[in-house]
Amino acid sequence: MELFFNSIGFGLVTASILALAAVGLTLQFGMTNYVNFAYGDFMTLGAYLTWTLNVRLGWPFWPALLVGALLMAIPVLLISRFVLEPFAKRSGPTFHILIVTFAVSLILSNLILAIWGGDFQNFNVGEDAPVNIGPFLLSIQQLGIIGLAAVCMVAIHLLLTRTKLGKAMRAISDDKNLAAVTGIPTQRVTTIVWVLSGMLAGLAGGVLALNVSSFDPNVGVTFLFVIFAAVVFGGIGRPYGAMVGALVIGLVVEVSAVFIPSAYKLDVAFLVLVGVLLVRPDGIMSLLARG
Amino acid sequence: MAEPLLSVTDVVHAYGGVQAVNGCTFEVPEGVICGLIGPNGAGKTTLVDVVAGALHLQRGSVRYAGADVGGWPPDRLARAGLIRTFQLSREFRQLTVLENLLVAATGRIDESLVGALFRRRQIAVAERALVKEARGLLEIFGLDALRNDPAETLSGGQKRLLELARAVMAHPRLLLLDEPMAGINPALMGLLEAHIRRLNSEGITFLMVEHNLGVVDRMCEPVVVMAEGKALAVGSMADHRASDAVVTAYLGRGRPA
Amino acid sequence: MPHDLNYYLATLAVYFLIYCVLTLGLNITFGMAGIFDFSYITFMAIGAYFAGVAVLPPSNVPGLQWILGLNLGFPIDLLIGALAAGVFGLLIGLVAIRRIRSDYLAMVLVAVWTITWSVTSTTIGLFNGQQGLIGVPQPFEAQLGVNPNDYVFVFIPIAAAALAILFAIAYCVERSPFGRALRATREDQDVAAAFGKRTVRLRLTAMVIGCVYAGVAGALTIEFLSAMSPNAWAIIETVIIFSALIVGGRGNVFGAVLGALLVRILIIEGTGLLPTLPDHPELIGATRNILIGLLVIVVLYFRPQGVIPERRRRYFESRKPAADPSSEVTKGG
Repeated sequence: MELFFNSIGFGLVTASILALAAVGLTLQFGMTNYVNFAYGDFMTLGAYLTWTLNVRLGWPFWPALLVGALLMAIPVLLISRFVLEPFAKRSGPTFHILIVTFAVSLILSNLILAIWGGDFQNFNVGEDAPVNIGPFLLSIQQLGIIGLAAVCMVAIHLLLTRTKLGKAMRAISDDKNLAAVTGIPTQRVTTIVWVLSGMLAGLAGGVLALNVSSFDPNVGVTFLFVIFAAVVFGGIGRPYGAMVGALVIGLVVEVSAVFIPSAYKLDVAFLVLVGVLLVRPDGIMSLLARG
Repeated sequence: MAEPLLSVTDVVHAYGGVQAVNGCTFEVPEGVICGLIGPNGAGKTTLVDVVAGALHLQRGSVRYAGADVGGWPPDRLARAGLIRTFQLSREFRQLTVLENLLVAATGRIDESLVGALFRRRQIAVAERALVKEARGLLEIFGLDALRNDPAETLSGGQKRLLELARAVMAHPRLLLLDEPMAGINPALMGLLEAHIRRLNSEGITFLMVEHNLGVVDRMCEPVVVMAEGKALAVGSMADHRASDAVVTAYLGRGRPA
Repeated sequence: MPHDLNYYLATLAVYFLIYCVLTLGLNITFGMAGIFDFSYITFMAIGAYFAGVAVLPPSNVPGLQWILGLNLGFPIDLLIGALAAGVFGLLIGLVAIRRIRSDYLAMVLVAVWTITWSVTSTTIGLFNGQQGLIGVPQPFEAQLGVNPNDYVFVFIPIAAAALAILFAIAYCVERSPFGRALRATREDQDVAAAFGKRTVRLRLTAMVIGCVYAGVAGALTIEFLSAMSPNAWAIIETVIIFSALIVGGRGNVFGAVLGALLVRILIIEGTGLLPTLPDHPELIGATRNILIGLLVIVVLYFRPQGVIPERRRRYFESRKPAADPSSEVTKGG
């Protein structure tokens, strides 16, 4: 039983990491209508930026993480403005853009490799202490991850519902042409969402790397398909769906580790991904009629 | 009395809370050019999509060529001779004009992997015959000079002709045309009308969705009027003009071209 | 020294021949059928691993483990590898190739690579985990008793023969109604179906053919190098094969061969000749991959059809000039 509650606790941590990443990916998809296959490498980049601030410059982890995420704005702006959007603007076959994001992944992962090397790295975080919260046994770092994700989800919710930007985002996500015709500056909003997506990726990458302790340039890519599972589960393009998907996948993955060797627990997400695509490609959230 | 080639009975298709087709019933006898008209939002294109298998038949039944075809996927219907064109021309862009027609000839050439490897000689013979037929068609439609050009390089009007030629190449028994005259200049329109009449005299049955009432007037008999997802009336244009119900629903607000 | 140069060129030739098999396979799956098989390299690995455990005897060294160990000879092991890759591709295709958006399909296939890679790396008992298969006997090595330095000259005709067969098959597919149906499905799946094509079946066939090609390439690789580890099939390898196909020209067999030459030989081997920095051994490889990524983006932007574009076939055209077409409809409305 204790094992079960522990796994639920871990599930919440994984769900938190997933939520940050999945919401970022799904928001960007809502604006651009294509999947960014370089997203895993965005996460990795965020982790390494955080590492540089944390280990090379000696900053404490959490400030390093936040600033690292902010710094993600620069590469993401450059990539989306100068590489991806020029392709998106063309009326040619949409397949080009998927390959382009794949090529960006190739470039980015090798840039990271060239700059930081391929060895496994760790953060400078000192001792981690276990904390008992109700039936759960989590560490301070893990609580930090959950807290960060919770704050971000609330912030996203407020953004979407209370701000003009959020309304514009929802309009564009519904119908880009209609939004443009009604005077919404779609290009500017899209750019802002790219930056937001990149920053969320940076946060997600940083906490993912923290949670696995030792990370290398592949840390984001190997987690990418789990994010896909969460995004597809909730319905691609739906941020609230992504949050639900993150929670479900996170719990399923960790709880499954009670029954199967933990080396394979992420693979369970694959089964969920395939299951959803077979049964309900629009995502589980589409069952709840909303827009 | 022979069974009609197409019978649509109480067909329903709704999506997102909209009852696009709401219990639609009509018949298309073999050998006619049947018109399908109605105000915007009447559900005409949705009905065509359902009949062609592109949309789910949620309720009701569709019978074609003596069989219940509700639930048949589009490819099965096509192989049975039910071919449709699209409102916006959807040519195979990077295939040549000639290849667009060759692709349409399903069932008349071996398109399997095994055939590609081991039956090349028979395929070459069949292909020669198909190419001859296709070029003949292209000649009639005035597109033969463009046969080796990628279909995407054609002008809008040429793509319309290609759409029709390709549909004919499929040897349809029933041809569903979705607004064939939309955006077409008058000269081309006359040409398309002539082609459709000729093909009809050669045995193809047509069901044509059209907004251009002049075209419908000249070519179609019977004409089905759809409104609010139902078939309001079936008859000749003269009958419809005389009917208060139809006039209210549609003709009063429409303009014959 | 001449022998070393011959040896080097011969090795390059083998790499080129094997890479052509990879690009030809992807040309059918992606170039003709339009399927984004982002898991493509996985099937090379499956082919390599199964060929390896088919030819290897059961492991008798402690610490090294693998399944099967059938101790069969060449070319049976290659056929087993190709078959395994094809079956694996079929199983995945049956689940994944359906009427879903192409980016969903790509996501599932990325997941396939990730899972396969992680399972084979962590499960020692399958294919010896992270270390991979080693000591795989090379074809005819025992019978011919050739000096290891000269073995490459034995392997060239083997690889060339495999490529010749697969090239001929790809060429036949390209010119056939089957190939035309694939291309129509690629252009517009809905319209292809509206004209009677069984599009799911067509796409599934194309995917499986590509997987078999990848499997043969994998089997040839492990036969030549005697080893295969997870390092050899990271996900970037799939990107590089895509790059080769896109640069050379997708949708035609000559473009696939040219792409293999340009990317695998010119770029990869070319950058391999650069001096390595002692502190940063990975820098050359990283630079090369960045170059390839940039090249693909540039090619896709300025010349998406590649160096050799898909051939615009003229069917049964005779030399005599065609009769004057009627001029009235050459300008449409």
